[in-house]
Amino acid sequence: MAIVLTESVADKLLPFATLVSGALALGFRVDVFASYWGLVAFRKTPAPSAATVSPGHGEEGARLERALAAPKAPSWKAMLEMAKSIGELHIYACSQSMELLGLSKEELDPLVDGVTGVATFIDRTRYANVTYFI
Amino acid sequence: MTEAEAAPSTPVTKSPRLVVDARGSWCPGPLMELVRVIKEEPVGTEFELLSSDEGSRKDVPLWLDKAGHQLVELRPDSGFDRFIIRKLHE
Repeated sequence: MAIVLTESVADKLLPFATLVSGALALGFRVDVFASYWGLVAFRKTPAPSAATVSPGHGEEGARLERALAAPKAPSWKAMLEMAKSIGELHIYACSQSMELLGLSKEELDPLVDGVTGVATFIDRTRYANVTYFI
Repeated sequence: MTEAEAAPSTPVTKSPRLVVDARGSWCPGPLMELVRVIKEEPVGTEFELLSSDEGSRKDVPLWLDKAGHQLVELRPDSGFDRFIIRKLHE
């Protein structure tokens, strides 16, 4: 399974981590290309708020933010760590985004395995049977 | 369900079931908990997975089928489901 992640809001990161978890449970290998805000999501400091949702959802968005700020709310990073412990999950940082955003590998969460260009990612996922763009 | 069935020392099972209480955990939390614990225990171990996530009703049997472990029983309780599972191989 190949996933291109471009967002850093909770209402994208949680569905992303949920898909990754389900796929690894079923024995899929998952390759993630973290690009633009999807890369910022993995920045250690300042880490984007885990309870911020995309704008434009009014009262429902506010309700979701309150639910996500609760102590028992699921954490997308904890889900990815759990997923990585049971199967093959590779997360690559998009080199173009790294440059545009002025980020270095050291500034990223250790969940990120390395920095690659798009051609390397496409080559690695050439035979992926499922692809998502998030 | 009777009190005796819920007791961990119920005499009908050879060894006590390992209870995995994933109630309150969101999809796919209960499934992920099961995948994690089933790896750590020996073949033949019975698990009792408790889940309040509705998705588990289909996800857990699907995973067991793919992974080749046995769903002994799926017993709905009040507000959650009780999955009795047996590990069949390493």
